[in-house]
Order: sequence, then C-alpha cells, then structure tokens
Amino acid sequence: MHQPINNDFLQKAIGTPVRRLDALDKASGRAIYIADMKFDGLLYARMIRSSRARARLLQVAVPDLPEGYYFISSKDIPEGGENRLYMITKDWRVFAEDTVRYIGETIGLLVGPDRNVLRDLEREIDISYEDLEPAFTIDEGLAVKGGPIHGEDNIFAEYHLKKGDPDSIFSGSYRIIEDEILTGFQEHAYMEPQGMVGEYKNGKYVITASCQCPYYMRKAVAGILAVDQEDIVVSQAITGGAFGGKEHFPDVIAGPLVVAVHVIRKPVQIVFDRHEDISFTAKRHPSRTRFRTAIDENNRIVGMDIDIAINGGGYQSCSHIVLQRAMFSVNSVYDLPNIRIRGRAVATNTFPSDAFRGFGAPQGIFACEMHMSHLARALGMDDAEFKQQYFVQTGGTTVTNGTIHEEVKLPEMLEKVLKASGYTEKNRLYDREGAAKAVGISFYNHGGGFTGDGEKEIIKARVRVSRDQNHKVTIYVSNVEMGQGFQTTACKVAAKVLGIPLQDVFFQNPDTSVVPNSGPTVASRSMMIVGKLVERAARQLKNTWNDQGAVEAEEDYVQPPGIEWNSTTFQGDAYPAFGWGICAVEVAVDPATAEVETKGIWTVHDIGVPIDDLIVHGQVHGGVIQALGYGSLEKLEVKNGAFLQNTFADYIIPTTMDFPAVESDLVENPYEYGPFGAKGMGELVFDGAAAAYAAAVQKAVDRNICSIPVNPELIMKLRQA
Amino acid sequence: MAVSYVPATFEEAVRIRRETGAVPVAGGTDLMVRYRSPAGTLPDFPWPVMFISGLKEMKGLFLEGVELVIKAGTELAVIEHSEIVHPVLREAVRQMAAPALRNLGTLSGNICNASPAGDAVCVLYALGAEVELTSSSRMRRMPIEHFITGPGRTVLKGDELMTAVRIPLHSESASFYRKVGTRKANALSKLSCTGFITVTENRIADMRLALGAVGPVVVRSAELESQCIGMDLNHFRNYKPDLRKQFAERVKPIDDQRSTAEYRKETTLNLIDEFFMLIEKELS
Repeated sequence: MHQPINNDFLQKAIGTPVRRLDALDKASGRAIYIADMKFDGLLYARMIRSSRARARLLQVAVPDLPEGYYFISSKDIPEGGENRLYMITKDWRVFAEDTVRYIGETIGLLVGPDRNVLRDLEREIDISYEDLEPAFTIDEGLAVKGGPIHGEDNIFAEYHLKKGDPDSIFSGSYRIIEDEILTGFQEHAYMEPQGMVGEYKNGKYVITASCQCPYYMRKAVAGILAVDQEDIVVSQAITGGAFGGKEHFPDVIAGPLVVAVHVIRKPVQIVFDRHEDISFTAKRHPSRTRFRTAIDENNRIVGMDIDIAINGGGYQSCSHIVLQRAMFSVNSVYDLPNIRIRGRAVATNTFPSDAFRGFGAPQGIFACEMHMSHLARALGMDDAEFKQQYFVQTGGTTVTNGTIHEEVKLPEMLEKVLKASGYTEKNRLYDREGAAKAVGISFYNHGGGFTGDGEKEIIKARVRVSRDQNHKVTIYVSNVEMGQGFQTTACKVAAKVLGIPLQDVFFQNPDTSVVPNSGPTVASRSMMIVGKLVERAARQLKNTWNDQGAVEAEEDYVQPPGIEWNSTTFQGDAYPAFGWGICAVEVAVDPATAEVETKGIWTVHDIGVPIDDLIVHGQVHGGVIQALGYGSLEKLEVKNGAFLQNTFADYIIPTTMDFPAVESDLVENPYEYGPFGAKGMGELVFDGAAAAYAAAVQKAVDRNICSIPVNPELIMKLRQA
Repeated sequence: MAVSYVPATFEEAVRIRRETGAVPVAGGTDLMVRYRSPAGTLPDFPWPVMFISGLKEMKGLFLEGVELVIKAGTELAVIEHSEIVHPVLREAVRQMAAPALRNLGTLSGNICNASPAGDAVCVLYALGAEVELTSSSRMRRMPIEHFITGPGRTVLKGDELMTAVRIPLHSESASFYRKVGTRKANALSKLSCTGFITVTENRIADMRLALGAVGPVVVRSAELESQCIGMDLNHFRNYKPDLRKQFAERVKPIDDQRSTAEYRKETTLNLIDEFFMLIEKELS
C-alpha cells in the first residue's frame, strides 16, 4: 500500500473525507485501462458500419482476406443463436441484415493481428445500398416519414398519466398558457472511450470491458451464441468514466465481439477512437415537451396538460424506461392539481438514444422548470416566489398519485440558496440598472433506485461480504467503480459498521463468475440500495466476527415498508425516496457578442447523509458543470443522419475556465432505509443546473428561453426577435 | 503509406522538398489531427512528409531594421512569451488552443493551414505581415493576403518552404482585438476582429481593420481604410454609417458546425461598432 489512509471517519461522522482508494493509481498513471492490457495473441477488430441512415443493404463485398484475417457478420451467428441483443428490449440487432436503420449501425467486424492491414482492408470493403427516405426528427418520426421504422406508427412506447380531474379543468374557461420546450442530444464525453476484449477460456466466453453493468452484458449476449448466461463471464476493467454511456451501449460492442471470438477462438479487442466514440455511440434522448396550463382568476395553476415526446433513434433499447422517468419528473418538485401527461418514445433514423446521467429526468425537469418560469413571467412574478407556492410537502401527492413519505426540506434549502447567492437583491439591482445580468434559480428532485417495484421484482439485488483468516474483509457486488467513488464509499460503509480500518476492506472490480448480482451501476442506486445491503451484510458479519476461519454474510434486497406500486397502471410510489436540489446561477451577457459570463453557481442538496463529503462535492461539481455544458455549450446537431459535431474541437464541453467553482451546501435528512441515512445523489446533481442557467439568461435578456443549449447564437436570435 | 523524411540540415530540407515535394511538418498540431487514423496505425498522409521541428536554423525571432522576423519553425509559446512581439499578436497567440499545443505549433504552420478562422492570421493581416518563401534557387517575399488565396489554399510552390514571417513594426494609438471562440479556453474561433488606430493631431493617420472567419479569407480593405486617413472626429462620425455599411457588404460568413452565418455577421458588425467607438475616443 501507499501512504496511510486517514481513518478519522471511524470516530467522527462517516462523511469525514478519506483519500479515495483508487486515487493514487489513477492520478499517477499506474491504473491499467482496457486499451493497455496485454493478451497473448491478441487480435484487433474494426467495426464496419452503415454509412446510410436508412437503406436496403444490397451487398457487402469483402476483398480476399490474407491469412489470419476474418470478416464476421450475421452469417457467423451459430445455429440457434439470435441476431438480437437482449438489452431492456430485445430489438437492437447484433449485425444489420437486409436493411440499415441509422448511420453507424454495425454491419460486420474486420478482425486480424495488424491494425494497419485492417485499415487498408476496410477501404476495400464495398457495401452497396438502396437508399430509403429517412426520418430524423421527432416530428418526422411521428409523421412516419418514409414509412414505419418500428411497428406501424414509429411509437416505441406511449403512456398516459392522470392526477386529479384534468378533463373538467380543460373543458372549462380558464386562461390557458401554452409552451413548447426542446432539449437536444448530449454526448457522454467520458474520458476513456468504449473498449473491451473477448476471449474463449475453459469453455467460457470471457469479456473484459470498460462498463457499468457486467450482468447486463452477460444477459445481452448469451442468446446470440445460444449459450447459458453462466457461459458468459464479464469482468470489469478499470473504467474511465461512463455517465450512462457504458450502461447498455457496451452490449452493442460485446454482441459482435462474442460472435468473432466464437468463430476465431482467440482474444479479440475492440477499442473505439474518440472520433468513433463521438460519431457512433448512443447519446442522451432529445425531447420536446408541450404544456397547456390552466390559470384561474387568482393567478393560480389549476391544471396542466403535458405532452412529452423523446427521440429514441433506430432501436428502442431502454427508451420506454427513459420516457417513464421523464414523465414522472415533469412536475419537478411541485404538487400541482389536475395533471394529464402523455408520453411517447419515437423511432427515427438517428443513432439510437440511450442512458445518460438523469435518464429522462433532466429533460422532464428542464421542461417543467422553464415552463414554470414562463408562467411566472406571464403573471408578473419572480420565479422563486412563484414556484415555491407549489412546493410538494411531506404527505403530498406525486404525478403517479404516490405519496412523498420523507421530510421535504425545500423551504430551508431555499433560504440557504437565496442567502448565499444574493438572488433577491442582485436581481432587483440588475433589473433597476437595466444591466444584462441576472441570477436564475431551479428546483429539482431525483428518485433513487429503479422505478416502482423494479428493485424487488426485476433486480433482486444480492451482496456478499466476507472476512478471511487474517481479518481482511472483501465486498462482493456487481456494481462498479467508474470514477464516481463507489469503491471507496462502499468500503467506508463496511469499515464503519465493523469498526476496522479502511485498509482492511477490499473491493475488487466485479467479475460475474465471482460476485453475486447486486444489479447494474445505474439509477443513483449504488449507495442507497446496494450500500444498504453492504451495511446489513457487514452487521451480520460482525455477529460472527470472532468465529474461527473465514466467515461470510449475504443479504438480499427487501423493499421498504409502505411502498405501493402498480407497474401496469404506473400508479403509486414511483420511488421510495428522493434526493432534492436547488441551484442558482448568476450570469452577465455581453452586449456585443451575446457571450455569457457565469459569475457564480450556488447549490444546496438534500442527499440524506453524505458518505464522504469530498466525493459528494466531486459529484456535485461534476454533475453541475456537466449540466451547464448541456445547457449552454454542447450543441450536437444531426445532418443527414450523422452527428455534425464529431470531434472535441467542435463538440464543446466546458473547461475549468468556462465556469467558476460551485459553492455547494448540503442539508442533512437521514433516510431510514439508506446506509447511515444516505440517499441517491449521482444523477440528482445533474438535473437542475441547465434550467437555472437558462432562467438566468432569460431574465438577463428579458426573453423566454425554450430550448438548450442557450448559446450566443440563440441569444442573438432572441434579442433580435 | 506515406514516405517520411527527417532532414538534418536546412539545406537538406530544401533539397528533399525540391526532389520529393514532401510536405513540411513542424509541430504537426494541424496535420497530425487532419490526417489522423485509427489507434495503432500510422498517420494517413496522402503525400510524403518531412519533419522539420529538429532544424535549429528554422527557429528563433529577432528584430531586423523595421521588421520583426519570426522564423518558420518558432513555436507559438516562444512568440507568446517574447517581449519584442507586438502585444496584440501575443494576445492572439495566447488565446490559441492550449499550452501543450502552443509548445509545438508554429505561426507559419498556422499561415500555411490557410484557415479564414486562424486567430493569429487575422492579426498578421492587420499588421501587414509578409511571408518569406525559400527554394533551392530563390527566395521571395509577399504580403500575407497575396499568399493565402482561399480556405486551405496558398501560392506556396512545390519546391518552396516558408522560412519566416516578417512583421513591420507598428505602433498605434490604440488597438482592438476580440476573439469569439466556442468557449473560454482551448477553443477554435467563431470569428475574430483586429483593429489598429493611429491618431496624429486629432486626425486619423492610420486605421486598419481585419476580420476573421467571415469569408473565404480574412477580410481587410485597403480602400476603406485609406478613405479614413486624415479624418477628424466630426468627419469620421459623419462617415461612420457609410463605412459600416461598406464593411457589412464585405462580411459574408457561412453556417458551419461551430456557428451560424447570422451570428457571425451580427457579432462582427457589433465589434466593428466597438472599434469605431474606440476610434472616436482616440479622436476626441
């Protein structure tokens, strides 16, 4: 080991920071990522992809290949295997056959020992297509332009929610305010691009991958080879960031890879270059949300009719689940009466959209926050003053007619943010001066864990904690360290329960042949759900601590009492507990160039209890800045079906120069069913900052903002309007 | 696969250039990116290349008479930190890319890249810089605006190497430089604007305005600039709307992945207005 670790958290609050267990290896460059791992006789694969957005695939003419080189395609899927990836939905093909649905769809793999030869061979592959008319936007998808891509109407999923009695409201004569809010694609921009190596070892297919969800991958690819899931072993390599981009998308690489390994029986590596990674991996779903809000004579909201559509791209994958979270989040932190929500996930010929930090919630919350601020403007009120009237309270009702069980600390949090940011005084002053400056504010929450009864009915997490003869403890879970800090926080939980130093607790990168399935590293569930199981298993272990030899303890997920959910009607408690947040952002808009200078960022979050103050601060800072990038800089356009900004020179993520430090504060609000009171927080901290930024610019330029990114081009256009 | 050369001396570089037409690579910060190829493979140059970053004869900057000479292999970081370089050029270089790139990239490479969005190039137009081109049989020099003929196009001949940038010393009463990038650091330009104004006895003695990324090449108009010579405050104020209109006619940007034509035009005109305000301030 390196320098000693500070174990103060054993005596003090668990949040007392420790040095992250992975910090020295990663900061010093000792950590070995997949692209640098050595394998005997390693072959390399290049993905051969569709260059057409929608076409019949007429012929793939492959040149004569030198000895030791292979072209792998759907023809190589063994008897009984399916050309389908079993993701959340089983629709995404391993290899395109007959038709292609998007630019970048996998047609084949070119495999061999020398990457220079592969590159030259790739140029000689001649693919002939017959182009069909593509649909790229939500509107084109809904209009079934060029005929259906999916089903008869391009609707991957459509859901309806109702709270109260919206029908009577909208047949009445209230004042109706309409709105349309748009959000775009977003690239994950993890530091390490996608990559994995497949091998055939001792009768099993072993995949070593940069990924979030080893068990997902096992399930996704077993059916392609018609083998049992146990015949696929997924071992997580050190993962350099993921943000949801390594939740399902790695399956799209692993599918063709296992077919290649099946045919060749040698280790095969696929590692994307950055240019490939930006051009040909899944992005955040673009969204369009329409509101019709009924206002009574006292300027009170009496009903809201909401229509959300998201662009799912060429395959469904998890779009319906993303849509659900967008719908469940589209009332943000407000308890509004008489709500009707329609949601649709639409098939188009863009690259399939998939998981990204927030998973639909950022789209729903951005839409709601902007619409609420537009209502405030229309009614001549300040955003914060208007919105706080509708804050949900303990015992309040959600859009799924569930109950908020926990204490809601929004008023206390608001007081802190207003004070720290100087929101009220600054806005009053700037308004009087006519300066193009303002402070914007947003409110948000994020339910931790899988929606509804998903943890109980689908995931059924199990964890194991063991203690060897030397009194060293190992945590066995399938959740991964991907930069977020879970390795360290999980070990802190076990160490704190057992009262032993952190150096004596071990957490290895999961391997599905070793660890039980504690579920995927998604949905802000790792600490709240899996961490709780680690805490319980450690308590169990403590009881047998003095037994001879090695001891171990296992714990299975138990749903907290009082949670009611109907997964058919979507009625009840969509989430057992929420993280809560408020973000304020101060901006100044340049009169000549419409460039925005961000002067300050203030946040207050309720995440239950922090397991490590510094790791939490890292998550807050990273999530907020990533969301500000989404809200201001990260324009990602589709031109003829291809992403136009496909390098880091053109796809603009923030640097440290673009935003000041986040002044982050927390309120403690222990959650009984989370470890040491912790709730989910990884996604929460992304959900609100884009709206706070847009609201600030909106106030500074005195124009409604209805879309992100709010870049100088948009501001210039609004100012001229 | 491209043949590559590593000349040991400048003479050898000139000879290789003549015999093979090899394209010189100094820092490679543009060429290595433009001709990148997948990981584990060699760069994908369509022509022979020669790596000249080791040639000491091609490095350095110094004053020669009324000119600053920046030799072609001089890294941007050296220019950024040199006190004999015009402050506006230093500022433009400081705002280019990131420190690591400025440690490798060269001003001459930036010029030969011939992008209308080149930040330093915009300043060089305004300073009236000339480039020096050398082959085994001759040396010639020409103004930068004659050298660059379009996006990515120059009049560099197949046997020539750019050997220096020569910048006349310029002392103005006030300067104006604004780069509008895609973000605050490590950013490419959406547009840029460089202006110099020299006033003697309350009249314009010299006025220069160069506009980047608003057309196929950097826009500078000797005709419009010379019309301003001799003007006093009132005269300039009266003439200003007309002058703005004539500049506006020369601003013809495009839509691309970094910005829109509409934004580029509007913002450029706003910056011209700011420069004109500076001129008025200097005249009063």
